[in-house]
Parts: sequence; structure tokens; C-alpha cells
Amino acid sequence: MKRTLTSTLAALAITSLAAGPALAKSVVFNDPIGDDNGPGGYTYPTDAVYLPGSFDLTELKVEEKGSDLEFSVSVNSRLADPWGMGVGFAVQMVFIFIDTEAEGGYTDSLPGLNVQFAADSAWNKVVVLSPQQQSRVIAEARVKVAEKLAAGDLVVPRRTTGRGKTISARVKKSELGDGDISSWGYQVVMQSNEGFPDRADFLTRKVNEYEGQHRFGGGDDGDCDPHAMDILAGAGTGAAEEVALQHEMLSYECGADGESVSKATLQMIRK
Amino acid sequence: MKRRNLVLVAAVGAALAGPVQAQPGEIEWFGSVYAKFLDGDRRLQGALYNNAETTPGEAGGDQGQGIEFELMFRNQISNQVEIGGRLKARFNQNFWTNFGGFGPEEDDPRSAQYVKMRGVYAIITPGYDWIDSATIGSNDFGMFDPLTQGKYRYIDRDNASGLLFQGSIPDANIRWDVARVSLPRLFAGPRFVTTRDPNDPVTRFEAQDAAWTGQLRWEPNPDFNTTTSLTYVRDKEIQLADVDMRDGQDLETRYENLVAMFRADYSGLSAIDLGGSFYWADYNIDSSECDGNINGNCRFSPLLGESADDISWFLNVDFSDFLVSDLTFKLQAFHVGADFMSVQSARREADVLLTEGWMSTWGWGRPDYNTGNRFNGNSTAGIGYGGWNGETQQVVSLMADNDFTDFDEPYAFTVHGYKGFTLVPEYRLGNWEFKGEVTYVDYDTNWQACGSPEEGFRAGCGSKYPRNEGTNSWGLGGDFRSPYSPYQERETWFYGLRANYFLDLGKGVDVELLYRFIDDEDERVTNAAYLADAYDGFPDAAGFALNEDWVPNIGLGGCVSCDDREAEYSQYGVSFGYQLHPDLYGTLILERYDVSLIDGTIDVAPVGMGFEASNDFGYIEYLTGDHVKNRIGLLFNYFLSGVEFGAAIDWFFGDFEPEFYVDQGGQRVRLIPTGDTVATPMGNVSTDKVDLEQYRLKAFMKVSF
Repeated sequence: MKRTLTSTLAALAITSLAAGPALAKSVVFNDPIGDDNGPGGYTYPTDAVYLPGSFDLTELKVEEKGSDLEFSVSVNSRLADPWGMGVGFAVQMVFIFIDTEAEGGYTDSLPGLNVQFAADSAWNKVVVLSPQQQSRVIAEARVKVAEKLAAGDLVVPRRTTGRGKTISARVKKSELGDGDISSWGYQVVMQSNEGFPDRADFLTRKVNEYEGQHRFGGGDDGDCDPHAMDILAGAGTGAAEEVALQHEMLSYECGADGESVSKATLQMIRK
Repeated sequence: MKRRNLVLVAAVGAALAGPVQAQPGEIEWFGSVYAKFLDGDRRLQGALYNNAETTPGEAGGDQGQGIEFELMFRNQISNQVEIGGRLKARFNQNFWTNFGGFGPEEDDPRSAQYVKMRGVYAIITPGYDWIDSATIGSNDFGMFDPLTQGKYRYIDRDNASGLLFQGSIPDANIRWDVARVSLPRLFAGPRFVTTRDPNDPVTRFEAQDAAWTGQLRWEPNPDFNTTTSLTYVRDKEIQLADVDMRDGQDLETRYENLVAMFRADYSGLSAIDLGGSFYWADYNIDSSECDGNINGNCRFSPLLGESADDISWFLNVDFSDFLVSDLTFKLQAFHVGADFMSVQSARREADVLLTEGWMSTWGWGRPDYNTGNRFNGNSTAGIGYGGWNGETQQVVSLMADNDFTDFDEPYAFTVHGYKGFTLVPEYRLGNWEFKGEVTYVDYDTNWQACGSPEEGFRAGCGSKYPRNEGTNSWGLGGDFRSPYSPYQERETWFYGLRANYFLDLGKGVDVELLYRFIDDEDERVTNAAYLADAYDGFPDAAGFALNEDWVPNIGLGGCVSCDDREAEYSQYGVSFGYQLHPDLYGTLILERYDVSLIDGTIDVAPVGMGFEASNDFGYIEYLTGDHVKNRIGLLFNYFLSGVEFGAAIDWFFGDFEPEFYVDQGGQRVRLIPTGDTVATPMGNVSTDKVDLEQYRLKAFMKVSF
């Protein structure tokens, strides 16, 4: 039995290797470490599961793998699965907005993120990397992001996994559209997987004025502040000046009652 | 600068300007409705949980339907105050057939559909520089380390209450947390009580028992962070010698516990992350608490029966993209001292070791293999032949907690005394993901008569080491909360390989292949001079129907190898997951478990065995032989917005083919039985192969609103 199992594994592995593409196109963006503070003053929740660096985006890699596109997002912390999600990570949730250069696009974002995109940075597709089951994410999207989901503009990979410091998933390239991935624009929003989201929020964790056990702090109790801990900025090279550019993009203004006066506005990052 | 610092300015300004009209926020109401359906062929209806064991004599069940409700509320009253709580009903024995609680058991709160106020808290955020928040009331205290003030498990998360103060010095990248946690009188003391005698209303004193914890976290740069903490627990009692209350009642200490912790993580190297933690614990207990008898009043206890101090430590090294792309390694070295006593360490929902550990399917499996008699008290205890399906959560607590769990949930197991290393390589190759494991465990509990072989186990172990069930390193799974055996010389190897493949067929098939192997050996008594002390004819069992047909072989005739335990556990598994419908995901699981077990010769039983030997009780079983267990499992998950349905269905079938070994010339040799039964200390065991099977189902619906 043991020998049979070993042989089967070996055969499948060899088959898989042989079937792999020889060359793959990829695009990589880097982000400075230590800027996991949103617009500059955000703090982590106080529960011990939120390890330092868990939301500190360091790299986005998009790579063609045959008919698939593989998205890999790295953070400055070992991934852990304290909530038993079974996919190698638990606390993170990543939104990868893409401008595929197709017609139209959205300048609003997704409920719970409280950001918008600049007119010249409208996005066409968003890939959601969540440790929750695909059907759970889609069930939420069906109500909270119904139009974008129905239009095929919100893509949830079948399986998203974490290994080391990297969260990765594959989607069919056909779901995102034809085109040269190196000419597309990208923006990444680092958020947290929230199993008990606010009624209107799309599985995102809130940022409040004061951090709580499971809430980010340093923002506002209203929904006028961006619920984003880290994003790409500048040229996406990881240069130190990109920290200030991030803070500038995520700057916001709230009214006295927590209403939005000026919303954080994101730019697409391109190669 | 955080806006909170502006709040102080605003608050001071407001105070100077006179009273301000409060602007109370709206109260938020939310909650859930959770229905559960159990079915199975054990036909037990002790509770709507597969495993329930808090109340002596109470068991779980595999039958019935019930529904829970919880209504939570939260109100951000102002920038400075938030309150919250919930009204919660729990299943326990609230079956739908109770007809709303109107029945003969209406006076039993477990079946009267009671609703309790739980989880009530207030969070004060005054806006001062020196403190961020004060939380008063219920809390799971999840901000602390699992070996110090461990997080309370999910269902107990707001049974715990206390005071929590938190603050930060942003410019110095420092955070601090200080808490006073009221000690759970249900379990957090010697003999599972926090007073001398809970039945004595005059001396009973629990209400001021508490744990104090302080923690300091410093993150000088994004690549380095360190945490240190100090936890002090004191169980106070009234001083019995002070009988004159006119000048107040003096107090004394029943036990106290001090735990210091230091942890650091460094990620400044491109491909290597380093992390480590070190713990020192000091524990002092009133020497009159335990009677010194190994089967005495402190046998069942979550704490040591004598004062002790010890250390524990963990070292983690992670290699990313090591040598080749997509190859990572995790390495953990660990040492958990046998005498390390941290009262508030997490009992569940924390996994301190990297290894997958023991196979949860062998956790407290029942019915008893030897007789299967439903009327044996413990045949109907435990979770059944299939054990648990979930991961094994390894905790540093003598009160590892599996109460109120179902078969599809994780299984908590104590790792007191474990020391060794784990190596976990992970590799991705095309559509394949591989994960392996090699773990070696030596034991800090490897000793003879608990380190005092000249005195013998009754004095050496005395009442210091609570043996609880007394079946550590016995049978198929051992016990999840008793790490101590009087005589032990044990080592264990764990191996595993898990491969996941995404088969691009139809909507895509998630395939998982799994192989695990555990080699567990325990030489137990290593010196012939101690055999008579260990195998003394089991006098502690004599009053409990010790098998009259068995002739005690005191000292095993000097055969040192006759008590050796050799166990090999194998697991083979394959599963297929498929999106059957946009809302429905299904998984088919096929597993096979083999165990080859030799628990010594037929004269061997756990050292110090007492009432558990009774054939009527059916607790310690004869399990030497070959075991095969097969599982066909089905899992379903169905999601709609706001509601989740799930189902887990298992069919187990297998057999146990007993083998018998005897001493021949000082060597253990296999006995070929000539009769229908063989006399052992645990009863007359049939020589026939035993067929076992179990069917079980759990389905649920959870609506969130």
C-alpha cells in the first residue's frame, strides 16, 4: 500500500512537471516594509493572532502559468492559521484591483474598504484572496457586490493558500481578459479576514479610532476612513519614498459626525 | 498622531466649557441562530454534543435536533465608552423533543431552554496619553501568550471576566497590557476547585481568586519585535486558625503561580525568519492540599500536587524559498518541562507545537473493545469508535479541554514534558502542493518512579503528579490530559506527507493525498530491580472487581522487556473536493488507519491501576494486537448570504485482532491461545477478532443577523 501510494505520487508529479510551461511572463511590484499603518497612524488589533507585519505588504507577483494567472502576495511576517482555516493563513484578506485597459471601469471600490480610485485609475477586475471558502466569499459578494460579481468583475479563486510569507492563488486568465499583464495597472489593498463583518461590509475588518481586540485603530469610528492597512505606491519598487506616497493616497477627511468629507483615493501602479 | 490624542484636548476643552449634551450612539443588535442535527448508531442522547464530560456521569450523545439563539448588542455610547454583551441559549440537552422545555426535566437547567446573560463588557477609552483603553467585564484575554494567560476557548470566551488595561507609547513602538482575570472556580485549582472544600459554606472562599498578568511588547523596527510578560496567580483561602472575626478574617494562600515569559521574532534576513520564546514558572501549593497517595485526593487534578518550578522554550526557524524557489522549511525545537506549571495556560484552541501530533481519531475512542457492553459505564462515554476528525491542538495544560465538542472539531492534547524538534518542508510544483513532516519527541517525563526509583512510585510520584485517567502511554491514544506515567522511557517519531493537487477537470477537483506514520516506543521500567514496585499485583484495583481468573505475576518474573510498549500508527487518506453547485461544495474522504500495538505481556497494566480495571467499569482495556479502521466521509458546505449549512457524515468499519504475549525465559514471546479467552488484569479477553463499526452525522445551519 505504501509503495503504491509513493509510486502514484511520483508519477503524478512527473506528469505535472512535464506539462508545465517552459517560459512564463511575470510582473513584480515591491512595497516598503514598515508601512502597514494605512494613512500613517493605523495600529493592529490587540489580539495575539495579529502578528507584527501580518498586513505589511512586501510584494505582489503576477505570473502567467499556462492558461492561468498566479497571484502571489507577500507580507513581512510568517503566515499562521490560528483560526483553523486549513489553507495556511487566516488573518489576512487581500484585494488585488486590476486595470486591464478594457473599456470603462470602476472608480468606487468594495464595501468596507472605504476607498475610491482616481478617474485615470479605474479598475476592471478585482481578485480577492481570502482564507475562507470560495463559495462563502461568493455568497457574501452576491448580496454586497452583486453587480460587479454578476458582471464577472469580482473574481474569487477556487483555492487560495498561504506558505511561508506568501499568499497565492490562481485564476483563469480568461476571467480577467486578454492582454499583456505587464501593461496592466495593479493596486493591492491589505485587509483582514473578518468572519463576522458589519452588515454592509464585504468580509472586511473595521478600523476604529481606538484599536480593539479585533479592530484596527488609529482611524475613525465612522466610515469616512480607509479600511486599508497597506497598499502599493509610487513605482512599486519598494523605495522608501513610497511610504509617504501611500500616506498621501490614503489621506482622508471626516466630518464631525463621521461622514466622509474627502475620501482616500488610490492610483493604479504600473510597470 | 492618532486622533485619540486630540480627544483629550477636546475633553478638557469640553469640561472647561461646561456640561455638554451627550450624543449617544445607536445600539446595534446582531446575533445568530444555530441549529444542529445529530444522528449516529451509538444511540446516546446525553447531550447535543458528541463529547460532554463536565458533570460526572454525564456523557455526550449522537442523537437529536436542537436550536440555539444568541442576541448580541453593542453600543458606542460616546467616543469614550462602548458597552456590549449577549443573551445566549445553549444546546446541552435542549432537544426539540423536549417540546419547549415542558417535560419531566424542566427543573434541570440543561434541558429547560434557559437563556443566560453572557459576555457583558464596557470599554472605556478616556483619551489620556498614558492609557488607551480599559475593558471591564467579559473577555477572552486573547492578547496574551498561550502559555501565560491563555486565550479562553470560543465557547468559554466570555465566561471569563476581569479587568484589562491597555496602552501604548507610539513614539517608542511599545504596547502594554495589564489584566486581572478572575480565576474560574470550575477548574483552575488543585482537584479542579479553587477552594479547600466547595461543600463547606463556612470556609468556602473563591470570589477573590485571580490571575494578574502584565505584558510589554516592543517593536523597534518592522523586522524585530519582542514581548515579555509576568503572570501571577493566587488562590486565597480564609485562614482556618483565625477563628475570631472581630478583627477581620485573615487569609492564606492555597496555591500561587508565577510565570515569566520572553519572546522575540526577527525577520531581517532575506530568506530566514527567527523566533523564540522562553518561559519560567514557579508554583507553590499548600502542602496539606494533597494526601500524598498516588491514587488519593489529588489524582484527578489539573495542577501539580506539590510545589515545583521548571522552564519551557520554543525556537522557530523558517526558511523561505530555500535553495530553490517555492521550497520552504519550518523548523521548531521545543522543550516543555515536566514540572512546568502555568495555571492559566490555554486549554484549547492554541497549538504550541508545529507537529500535527497524535491522530485525533484515536482520542478517547469507545465503545470498550473487550466487551462492548452498553451497560458498562464507560462504554457509552467518550466520542465513539471514530474519535475526532479535526486537527490535534497541542496545549501546555493538564486540563486540556475536549468538553462539549463534536467529532468534526479539533482535539486538544497536553504536551507537558515533550521535548524534541519538528521539520516541515513545503514545496509547490505546478498544480501540486506538498507538505511533509518529521518530528522527534523525547520526554522530560522519562523517569523511573517519577525520579525516585529507590522510594518506589507511591512515594516518588506521591501526589505530585496528577495521573487523572492514568492511561498516558496506554492503549491506542493515551489520555489527552494525563502526561505522567510513573515509569517511562519513551521516544516517538512522527512522519507525514500531504499532497494537494488541483485537477483541472470540470469545475476543478481538489485532490488531497495523505500519509502519516507514528512510531511510539516506551520501555517503561528499565531496571529489573524496580519491576516489583511497578507491577505489584495491582492492589489498588482489588476492591473493584479485579479479574479473579488472573494470577498476579508480581515483578513480571524479572523480565524487563515484558512491559515494553511498541506502537506503530499509520494513516492513509485520499479526498476529492468539488464545487457541486455555485453554493454547494462537497468532499469525499477515504481513510484507512492501521495500528500495530504491543502494550506489554498479559501481566502488564498501567502502573498504579485502580478502579479502572473493573470489568464492570470498562475503562482500561486490553488493546494489544492489530487494529484496522476505515473511514468513508462526506462533507458538505452550502452558503447563502447570511446563512451557512454544513454536514459531516462518517462511516467507520474495522476490526481488532488481539494478540497475547507472555514472559518466556525473561523474554517477551507471543502466546498462541488455546482457549476462547486469556486472563489479563483487565479481564478475560476474548481471542476472537472483534469487528467494529460506527455511523455518525452532524449537520448544522447557522444564520447570522
